[in-house]
Amino acid sequence: MIITKKRDLKDLLENVKNYRSFFLIGCSECATLCGTGGEPELKAMKEALEAEGKAVTGTFVAKTGCQVLGTKVELKPFKEALDKTDCIIVMSCGAGTQTAVDLYEDKAVFPSNDSLFLGNMTRLQFFDERCSLCGKCILDKTGGICPITACPKGLLNGPCGGCKDGNCEISPDIKCAWVRIYERMKKLDKLQEFCEVTIEAKDWSASQKPRALTAREEKKK
Amino acid sequence: MSFKDILNSGKFVVTAEVGPPKGTDIKEMIHHMEILKGKVDAVNVTDNQSAVMRICSMAVSKIAMEHGLEPIFQMTCRDRNRIGLQSDLLGASILGIKNLLCMTGDHVSAGDHKGAKPVYDVESVQLLKIVDGLNNGKDMSGNEMKGSTDFFQGAVVTPEANPIEPQLIKFEKKIRAGAKFFQTQAIYDIEKFKDFMKHARKFPVKILAGFVVLKSVGMANFLNNNVPGIRVPQVLIDELKAAGKEKALDTGMNITVRHIKQLKEEKICDGVHIMAIGMEDKVPEIMERSGLL
Repeated sequence: MIITKKRDLKDLLENVKNYRSFFLIGCSECATLCGTGGEPELKAMKEALEAEGKAVTGTFVAKTGCQVLGTKVELKPFKEALDKTDCIIVMSCGAGTQTAVDLYEDKAVFPSNDSLFLGNMTRLQFFDERCSLCGKCILDKTGGICPITACPKGLLNGPCGGCKDGNCEISPDIKCAWVRIYERMKKLDKLQEFCEVTIEAKDWSASQKPRALTAREEKKK
Repeated sequence: MSFKDILNSGKFVVTAEVGPPKGTDIKEMIHHMEILKGKVDAVNVTDNQSAVMRICSMAVSKIAMEHGLEPIFQMTCRDRNRIGLQSDLLGASILGIKNLLCMTGDHVSAGDHKGAKPVYDVESVQLLKIVDGLNNGKDMSGNEMKGSTDFFQGAVVTPEANPIEPQLIKFEKKIRAGAKFFQTQAIYDIEKFKDFMKHARKFPVKILAGFVVLKSVGMANFLNNNVPGIRVPQVLIDELKAAGKEKALDTGMNITVRHIKQLKEEKICDGVHIMAIGMEDKVPEIMERSGLL
């Protein structure tokens, strides 16, 4: 899921100080799990805006905020509230925010969150980054652990000289990605492969922005 | 004789380090170069060491040559992508720089520009492969170049790493990628270093043991707690303690001298790399007392 973090409310209020009325859009997927864009957060934001003397014309939690067409259909019943508002605050990720930008060309749209990373939830609201969405997966070569993400230097052929008692020199509370890969390869009886294969420099062209994909075209292949 | 020829001649080699300063005042740096001139076989020029922004190592390597020293141009993967690295390598080559030390480089979070974007487009093993390609007239994309480089390339290894196995695997990958010599992180436990050398001797590469002189008990503790890959054994800390504050530096020098002598006499490795870290003026004395001058 996309991990988000609330921006400082003071900064947001500064951003929107020239607007009087607001419509709030949350998301039932990632932002709800992150506690940044579900029903309780929308309610708290509504109260915070009203405390500043602002009007809130409506609030809505989209099913999947990054799904543009679905969100467009879901928002139809809120046409009146949306017509009346000066400004939309989107309480999901940067993709959800830009769905609103697509749908309401004449309205100001502001994000209430910072979008951080693609994360795994390991415990309730504990998120770890495991995948950098690089576009060319190498998990088949590294025992299923991504060094591009788990190693701060993104090293591809073993640890740097900074590994300290098996932990990362940059984030001392986490285990060195390459020690983890080494131990897993050992368990899988693949050490030979780990020793013999030098992973080539990454082809970053698959990460060139902005990326787009037409799944229908892919299916034809 | 070039650094490569001296290493291959079987002489017990000594390298030291020059750290480029921050800013354009190079008086002190030149002074350090003058101290080392005619004494060490080559001098490493660090590349924005500890991710602190300083003069680039290429310019300082060139100045080292002008002052009669043979530079080992250190190159990290932290600040340049593959285009920048190769372009700098070609630049170093036409300036007459021959020796190269390829390393990953400390992360920007260790330095004084913490908001910088760390590059790491390639890493040390891949950089070694790039150098091998350039030496053979081809760039990383396989394009033929007009004129090739002639680098003598080395790399870094941490014999005290814990766990050691992944470090040794990477060491072998670096050798396969073309590393001809290695300079190690500072070592303090000769017995442990001998174990590492038993492994290293299986390969046709030269190994220079790294040394950082201990100045005090505090410094030893600092290294143990803050510098990964360095382990000062308790027995040495006790030796420094027993010497007292007044004699700590002298004792630290004695430890280094004792270790260098042992390495040389027992022919454990091919030379030493003395990282003076602010004590460049002591390098000749260390060499003299170790019987290297």
